[in-house]
Amino acid sequence: MDRKIWLMSPAVFLLLIFCVVPLFIMVYYSFLSDGTGGHWTIQNYMDFFQKDIYLKLTWKTVKMSFYVTVISLLISYPMAYVMVSIIQGGKNILLMAIIVPFWTSQLVRAYSWQNLLRDGGLLEIVLRKLHLIGSGPLGLMFTSTAVIIAMVHIFFPYMVITIYMSLEKVDGALVEASKSLKAGPLTTFRRIVLPLSKPGIISGCILVFVPSLGVFVEPRVLGGTQGTVIGTVIEDQFFEIYGWNFGAAVSFILLAIILLSMAVLSRFAKEEA
Amino acid sequence: MLKKGIGWTYVSLVLLFLYAPILVLMAMSFNASKYNALPFEFSMRWYRELAGNDKLIDASLTSVYIAAGTAVICVVLATMLMLWAVQTNSKLKRWIDSLVVLPLTIPWLILGLSLLLLVSAAGIDKNFTVLLIGHVVISLPYAVLVIKARLQSMDLTINEASASLGANEWTTVWRITLPLLFPAMLAGGFLAFVISFDNFILSYFLIPGGSSTLPIEIYSSIKFGFTPEINAVSTVMLTATTLLIVLIATIMRSSLKFFLK
Amino acid sequence: MKKRIAGLLVITSMLLVSACGNKSNNEGASSSPAKGETKTLNVVNWKSYGSDDPEVVKEFEEKYNVKVVHQYMASEEELLTRLRTSKEGDIDVILPNASILPVAIGEGLLQPIDTAKLANYSSIYEPFKNIPENAKDGKVYAVPWVWGSTAIAYNPETVKAPIDSVQVFWDEQYKGKIAFRDDFNDAIMTAALALGQDPNHPSDLDAIKKKLIEQKPLNRTYWKTGDEFSKLYAGKMADIGLMWSGQTASMKKEGQNIKYVIPKEGAIGWIDNWAIVKGSKNSDLANQFIDFMIDRKFQESWVNKGGPAPVNKEVGKNLDPAFVEEMGLDEKTIGKLKFIAYHTDEEKRKWNELWLEVKSH
Repeated sequence: MDRKIWLMSPAVFLLLIFCVVPLFIMVYYSFLSDGTGGHWTIQNYMDFFQKDIYLKLTWKTVKMSFYVTVISLLISYPMAYVMVSIIQGGKNILLMAIIVPFWTSQLVRAYSWQNLLRDGGLLEIVLRKLHLIGSGPLGLMFTSTAVIIAMVHIFFPYMVITIYMSLEKVDGALVEASKSLKAGPLTTFRRIVLPLSKPGIISGCILVFVPSLGVFVEPRVLGGTQGTVIGTVIEDQFFEIYGWNFGAAVSFILLAIILLSMAVLSRFAKEEA
Repeated sequence: MLKKGIGWTYVSLVLLFLYAPILVLMAMSFNASKYNALPFEFSMRWYRELAGNDKLIDASLTSVYIAAGTAVICVVLATMLMLWAVQTNSKLKRWIDSLVVLPLTIPWLILGLSLLLLVSAAGIDKNFTVLLIGHVVISLPYAVLVIKARLQSMDLTINEASASLGANEWTTVWRITLPLLFPAMLAGGFLAFVISFDNFILSYFLIPGGSSTLPIEIYSSIKFGFTPEINAVSTVMLTATTLLIVLIATIMRSSLKFFLK
Repeated sequence: MKKRIAGLLVITSMLLVSACGNKSNNEGASSSPAKGETKTLNVVNWKSYGSDDPEVVKEFEEKYNVKVVHQYMASEEELLTRLRTSKEGDIDVILPNASILPVAIGEGLLQPIDTAKLANYSSIYEPFKNIPENAKDGKVYAVPWVWGSTAIAYNPETVKAPIDSVQVFWDEQYKGKIAFRDDFNDAIMTAALALGQDPNHPSDLDAIKKKLIEQKPLNRTYWKTGDEFSKLYAGKMADIGLMWSGQTASMKKEGQNIKYVIPKEGAIGWIDNWAIVKGSKNSDLANQFIDFMIDRKFQESWVNKGGPAPVNKEVGKNLDPAFVEEMGLDEKTIGKLKFIAYHTDEEKRKWNELWLEVKSH
């Protein structure tokens, strides 16, 4: 037997008792019919698949989260790479600078984006001063673009941090060795740097994609009349109507989607290796 | 030189994107309008009101305490878990990988609701212990994933080399592994801190009557609107953190360097 | 085997959770005041909604030598959950409305109120004393506190034409200027008014859905919380909105140029009521609190700060008649409103789903 098992037991114990057990309670609810004296049923799950809107909203949310993840990756990888390889001094300060904005409420930040993105807002004023846009309105506010901008803003720092953490440990000697073997910079990157930073990319993608699926504040404040996502549906079941059972069922369908995509991701990671 | 120039330009652009809404948020704390309306009109009104708003100040401090506790517990638990994961080839490992990200995959509302049901089924009062546990559960994945990203890229041969040189296991962990992990532990702790600091729903369900946190104050106000006092609080906290970081960085420069080398 | 493990886990977690609870109970006991000291009244209300104003709280605390602690609610349904999951004696007074009152009364979560003990009860507008949702078997369980309407608010600078009909939300000339409310109840009732159906018991939900989908492209956005609307309006992102009378009044007091109209078709009406939670250890104090809240003095000072309409009929006499007329604070308005009635969970679910279909159309 593993004699260091005590190292992991506190965390696992905590998660089993305070996450898995509560989830069993919710699984139970998701199979319960509405009303008093509910009985076992799969109606809540059936409802989800029988009505177009729920599938439609789920697909919309998955797509949105996917865009947010890809854009975050495109911003974060170069950022982490530059921090590690070009900006040697002060990279810890930079790391702090990336985390500090999180000290502000997500909701308050969404309103800030409203001030920036709306027609006649700060972005429009600045862009016009720079003669980058004409005199027409910016037209960004209350679009899915506005939602994605605000969501990338919230989530990409996680990705920078995880990628930075793995890149920083990429052995300089390996890179040098590769160079001395006359491998071009691109080959070195593809064959040495990228594979070694993969754990950071995977961790980062999880930290961006998964929470994106449950978001509902940014779509509502910035998304206009199309600001409904699957997270809104779950919130409604508790705050607007008494629909816990259905809300729990939707959550578990989401969970299944997430676990499925993580399985795909890890298979993909293995094949590459 | 050119490379450096491009690098800094890129970093500056990303930081501009990151800080633009933060600067707007701070500016609005000095704007007279209750509704963030322009044109901008300088006023200290919201700072004056904040100074007299004991409830909001108390709530903000409570949030800081809870977040700090959460961060410390998360880093300890996550580091222990990852030290185990890196040296084992147990079949449990794959299950535990999924278990750790589980709190991330469940909407906080559902997790909070089920914790509330558990607490009320056990017939006990809402209290800070359960609240703290709830925060640890949701913040733990962040700490774990950051530390994991570091540990998996770390050269394990160092450990083996150290072991073959006769250093006993604990010396290896203490002298080599932990210092190498330190930046990730720090970053993971900060992330756990901010996740807890901005969490509304778990606190809302589990907090004892009469207490409050900053997110509770904010989200409870949305029915009729919160005032820029919230922006003022955020501005104060951002400034204080920045000063604190600069201070620590200056004082501990030498020892930090030792750790981060 | 697996079943047994699962069972064991549930039991362990229960024990652990209780252990956590006990610990803090002891902590609580040591810091709680000794017997004979001031009582504490636990009130659940919306935040920044009259009763938690520090000056008001202070006045009541000094008058009765007690302490008032406010907790905030997030929605009516959430309040109901809170009632169901909280321990007896944790909460004394709450502020429910008709959408959950019959359920709370039916489940025995509230206690009857002896209105004879409330000196100011007689000053309440007559129609408010006979709300079906507030009583059961001849016993009163909820005392009206404030009321208001959900109608049309607009910017007189940009909207020049006179507005008197709910059809304004379907008027093409205001395309891109409208902020309709993101709330299934308000949306469906407003569409019912526009279609001439009974807002509380609409006869043709399909027609309502069609009408709301027709309305959708005219909006700049939907708004959900009062916070959102005030920022939309002040940021000039919307000029016309389906809006609450109370919030409009408060925005007016804050210096916004905003006008309010109750359309000729009528408007949605709402009433917030105080109720006492069953098992409250401070029933007498709770009575005194409610009486204080419907007292002319408090009601007058709040409406003058931009609060919703008072239930105390004495208040109206001292107010600016033009303000009363525009915001619809008088008895005449009561007759024009369709007050939100109780709907069963089944109906709410159906309405919510209809609204979701409109939003994701």
